[in-house]
Amino acid sequence: MNFLKRKNPVDLTFSFITGIASVSVIIIVIGILYVLFSESSLSIERFGLLKFITSVEWDPVRESFGGAAALYGTLVTTALALIIAIPVAIGIAIFVTEVAPNFLKGPIGIAIELLAAIPSIIYGMWGLFTLAPIMARYVEPFLQRTIGKVPLVGILFEGTPLGIDLLTASTILGIMIIPFTASISREAFNLTPSVVKESAYAIGATKWEVVKDIVLPYSKLGVFGGIVISLGRALGETMAVAFVLGNNNQITSSLLDAAATVTVKLANEFTEADKDVYLSSLYYLALLLFIMSFIVLAIAKFLILKAERRYQR
Amino acid sequence: MTGSIEIDVKGLDFYYAGNIHALKRINFPIYKNSVTALIGPSGCGKTTLLRCFNRMHDLYPNNRYEGEIIFQGTNVLSRDIDVIDLRSRIGMVFQKPTPFPMTIFDNIAYGLRLRGMRKRAELSETVERVLKRAAVWDEVKDKLNVSAYELSGGQQQRLCIARALAVKPEVLLFDEPTSALDPISTAKIEELAINLKKEITIIIVTHNMQQAARMSDWTGFMMLGELIEFGRTDKIFTNPSEKLTEEYITGRFG
Amino acid sequence: MRRERLRVIQSRIAFVMSTLTALFGIFWLLFIIGDVLIHGIGALNINLFINDPAPVGVEGGGLRNAFVGHLLITIFATLMGVPIGVLGGTFLAEYARDRGISRFISVLSDIMVSVPAIVVGTFVYALLVKPLGHFSGWAGSVALAIIMIPVVLRTTENMLSLVPWTVREAAFALGAPYYKVIIQVVYRGAATGIFTGILLSIARVTGEAAPLLFTSFNNAFFSINMKEPIASLTVSIFQYAMGPYDSWHAQAWAAAFMITLFILVITILGRLIIKWRYRR
Repeated sequence: MNFLKRKNPVDLTFSFITGIASVSVIIIVIGILYVLFSESSLSIERFGLLKFITSVEWDPVRESFGGAAALYGTLVTTALALIIAIPVAIGIAIFVTEVAPNFLKGPIGIAIELLAAIPSIIYGMWGLFTLAPIMARYVEPFLQRTIGKVPLVGILFEGTPLGIDLLTASTILGIMIIPFTASISREAFNLTPSVVKESAYAIGATKWEVVKDIVLPYSKLGVFGGIVISLGRALGETMAVAFVLGNNNQITSSLLDAAATVTVKLANEFTEADKDVYLSSLYYLALLLFIMSFIVLAIAKFLILKAERRYQR
Repeated sequence: MTGSIEIDVKGLDFYYAGNIHALKRINFPIYKNSVTALIGPSGCGKTTLLRCFNRMHDLYPNNRYEGEIIFQGTNVLSRDIDVIDLRSRIGMVFQKPTPFPMTIFDNIAYGLRLRGMRKRAELSETVERVLKRAAVWDEVKDKLNVSAYELSGGQQQRLCIARALAVKPEVLLFDEPTSALDPISTAKIEELAINLKKEITIIIVTHNMQQAARMSDWTGFMMLGELIEFGRTDKIFTNPSEKLTEEYITGRFG
Repeated sequence: MRRERLRVIQSRIAFVMSTLTALFGIFWLLFIIGDVLIHGIGALNINLFINDPAPVGVEGGGLRNAFVGHLLITIFATLMGVPIGVLGGTFLAEYARDRGISRFISVLSDIMVSVPAIVVGTFVYALLVKPLGHFSGWAGSVALAIIMIPVVLRTTENMLSLVPWTVREAAFALGAPYYKVIIQVVYRGAATGIFTGILLSIARVTGEAAPLLFTSFNNAFFSINMKEPIASLTVSIFQYAMGPYDSWHAQAWAAAFMITLFILVITILGRLIIKWRYRR
């Protein structure tokens, strides 16, 4: 009887192959960082960091590039999109978990997940053909006539309402992230143990009080984590906004003006960049975007892990 | 020596959604300032019965009550009852400790704030009073502003009892309150309940017969949705009238 | 009693508000789907599928090259991305279970799932387009594969972790080496879940346009040569929708409809499979 313990060679090979496959993720991330850095090195050397982030100039002829306008557009569209999406998404999540009758809960839940699967290019195209004209013809003139007259706030609505602007782009982006945010919020709400909710009812709380004082605080880490993921995704979104933003390199105070985001700039100009420093500057923008969204998504993951640990108790 | 009847259960039937007949023709009294225990094997309906007293079944659709539960002259099961008010007067402590995601102070104050108590001084006074009553004041008095999750299981459960006491209930329902706790915490809570009966009427569901024998004055034995026997605890445990009761007590089945 | 009344009324109002918000959100989403349906079906005709793009101004053009090109790109992306994802997920859930490296790669993958797709495009451009001097279908497939890998890896890891440890122990007790336990026992247990994960990752990359913009680019002619630029539905939609011609717009709607239909069918299929598998 041979009791020698021998490591099975097939096992070793298989574990090696699967190990390499898993490490591919690390390789990809490092690869992306390396490539982005090296491609943008020309631009980094020429413009540095602070100057690039604060300069609004984007002049291929004079070879002077600055990312301020693109970064501004990215941040503004994302912020506005979140402002639109978060209340609606949470409203939907509350509706599905607490208000809707039992037979509706399943179907609506499925509907939300299907909507979350629809690619952003569909939203973008719809935005161009349907929403932009509505914005140009009805919504934006209306806003100009009303809020546009209010001092200070009014500057947000100056200019010609053509429909191809920050407002439309942010609206589309906002609508697009609603299903995903609603879905994650709903899952977070459902994690509240029914015993805790029942305890609150037993003290005499109304349904809304239970949602407000128990469910929302209990799930806030998970919901917030989901929101931060949506933020990360919105930052990197191209197709939803590319159709209706206009790619106008400017920092503007009016939401009714065309603008640019990092992604839209890349989509429109990447294949047309004829000079090295032009392409390098585009890569510089891509690098900044990658780092920004990576950090945001890492924060989201951290929040969600923390929420999961809390539920382990 | 029996006291007056605090709650009278008359001809109670209960159906879960889908017409599942869970409680059958339950009749028995709950005496004021006593501890009444409901015992029986798993699935006998004791928790279902308990949750009728404070209308917890209303939270889930398609449940149906039949019969009456008379509490201080009114039928608790009637449509006209203000359920929120009912739950101030009949409180509940659950199987697992269920602290709210708030500080210890806010946990206790929650029920009070719902009812409009705002002044810090008033709230503090009540919070201290009930935490002392629930025998947990000494352990938490220095950390009232700490999250309730920081407490141990036994402390959390006593916190939940204090929280229920804060709204001055006349009846307190305990649903297997110590099944998730260690023996020392269990003993503390049993002692607490016996102590509380001087002011409050207590109904406790427990799967632990010895606990029922230790704590209660009256005991009801249930099986398959029916109340097989109800009577003084010492009689039930030493000389039960029904054969089924005797078989359960002696461990013939569990 | 007045206070209780007030609180109940507050509760009702709050829930009416939440219902209104929900209806508002759902309205817009249904509006979008409806629009895609109406315009898309309206523009569907046989030319779309059997003809290639016609010269500007000429009627009767179609998107046959885009359908075929898109299919090719997606197939090869799947062939590249899925095995790496499945094997990688296997490593995390089995050989490296509960080890630090597993946690690290898992977190990294989760982050990569949501990273900007267009950046992946620029990455592959620098690797496979610039050095070779031209766009290619292969570059497009690689870009999509990079997006698929983290998705498939995470779902595989999750599905494998759902298989109880005791099942593996039983196999070990019979004398099987680990790789056999994985392939013959664990994979079988998690097969439906892994398959659904793969389906969903395909649904995800089918709708991507940004990563293809500077990798596979586009091609006005019919081609099945992956070494050259190749047409894809999504990039065509981008081009056509932004273009000036009504016939282009119509085709864009039709293509959008087809893509949406495909994705919805696959997603629903995935859910049905899961439901069927766990129907007990």
